[in-house]
Amino acid sequence: MAAAAEQGGEKIPPGKPMSVEQHMLDKGAQMLQSLKPIKQMNQHICTFALYSHDMTRQIETHHFATRLNQDFLQCAVYDSDDSTARLIGVEYIVSDKIFESLPPDEQKLWHSHAYEIKSGLLVNPRVPEMVVRPELENLAKTYGKFWCTWQTDRGDKLPMGPPVLMMSPQPVNLGMVNPDLIVKRDDKYNISSEALKNARIEIPEPEWINPQADYWKQHGVGFFIDVEATEMKKTVPFP
Amino acid sequence: MEAVNVLTHPQIPGEPTQTSTTLLEKATATIQGFGPVNKIHQHLCAFHFYGHDMTRQVEAHHFCGHQNEEFRQCLIYDRPDDDGRLIGIEYLVSEELFLTLPDEEKRFWHSHEFEVKSGVLFMPGVPGPIQRQDLEKVAKTYGKVFHFWQVDRGDSLPLGIPQVMMALTRDGQLYENLAQDVENRYNISFAKERENRAYMTGPAHGIHPMANGGGKGLQTVLREVECKPAGVDHSAARVFV
Repeated sequence: MAAAAEQGGEKIPPGKPMSVEQHMLDKGAQMLQSLKPIKQMNQHICTFALYSHDMTRQIETHHFATRLNQDFLQCAVYDSDDSTARLIGVEYIVSDKIFESLPPDEQKLWHSHAYEIKSGLLVNPRVPEMVVRPELENLAKTYGKFWCTWQTDRGDKLPMGPPVLMMSPQPVNLGMVNPDLIVKRDDKYNISSEALKNARIEIPEPEWINPQADYWKQHGVGFFIDVEATEMKKTVPFP
Repeated sequence: MEAVNVLTHPQIPGEPTQTSTTLLEKATATIQGFGPVNKIHQHLCAFHFYGHDMTRQVEAHHFCGHQNEEFRQCLIYDRPDDDGRLIGIEYLVSEELFLTLPDEEKRFWHSHEFEVKSGVLFMPGVPGPIQRQDLEKVAKTYGKVFHFWQVDRGDSLPLGIPQVMMALTRDGQLYENLAQDVENRYNISFAKERENRAYMTGPAHGIHPMANGGGKGLQTVLREVECKPAGVDHSAARVFV
């Protein structure tokens, strides 16, 4: 498992292994604290995402999702599913109903999910397809907003820079996922995205996908977050 | 400072979760592996303010796991409840790791010395002497926080772009009413805990001048970039000084 955390012999992140003392402190805290929001995570989703500012960079993602109501999920996103996984971002998922209520400028930051589900790219590891089918039908009509805070795919040993916006796989040139990535993921879970695609033919396509989503498809642009130094609004000195 | 920023927990639009969905997700919760999430062992409560605006302050509940002795990764919620909103992420690094960062990057990171020593950063439910064993280490670390959901302005959904957040660095910054609200809710006293933590020290090399925004406010801005054709590198972030 340690191999998963290394790239080219360097650990990501670097640092000394946890001391025995720290393990004990951790265990102690864990016994005394209730950690409620964490216990509400009830779904593991494995799929793929692309950097909106550079769609040749594609990653396998592991979302641990919490559903807050029938129309909304919040996900902690990691770069693998084992205990050494790095926390690489957050994704929010909303129903089409909520998405339609957003202003157009906000909608530009979101992506649709129908293709990645119909194509078998999005899976719930270990759960039989038939059990999870109703959830997939729900998710197929949703939109997501995914900020990545740690670009481990390019070897960043520590989280660097501002968050970047991610996009979803789409059946259009730049949005197609590199088959090698898919094979690697499929082998790991002993599944076949191709087979899932066939099984999912019955999942209804959304009647309409809002063209503000997957903004790059119609406009050829991705997004970047710049950070500007400015005077902080304050009433007491900082720092 | 005036009392403002009363804690908000806005209602998310949408229907209540259907029973069939709940049952399905109970099944997935039982069958699937949650390796990375099972590493989250600690709950820390603290406050953040916006990197460009100290007057907007947010109570932040961190749920943290160690990648190793020197690095923690935390999910930040607006409250430590079943329906807490996931509003941000924080990374904590040791001073040693912090010093390996380029200066441009150091600006994003804030020091923890004041938050810890003032008693304001604490571990709910954990007795003082045990907390302090861990917090004396935290006092020497640096943190990097982004928030994605501006609950303090009443947003019922995570709108807009990520915000760089900063943390308390001196007395007088934290609004009295926010502090008292936490003290009452958890039946604690920051002042009392400050006395208990007087022995703690911050980073061995002192707080780095480039940390905490390098003394400036930091504001995020959205920029459209052309979809990369092969050979063009958009990946260098522009940080305007």
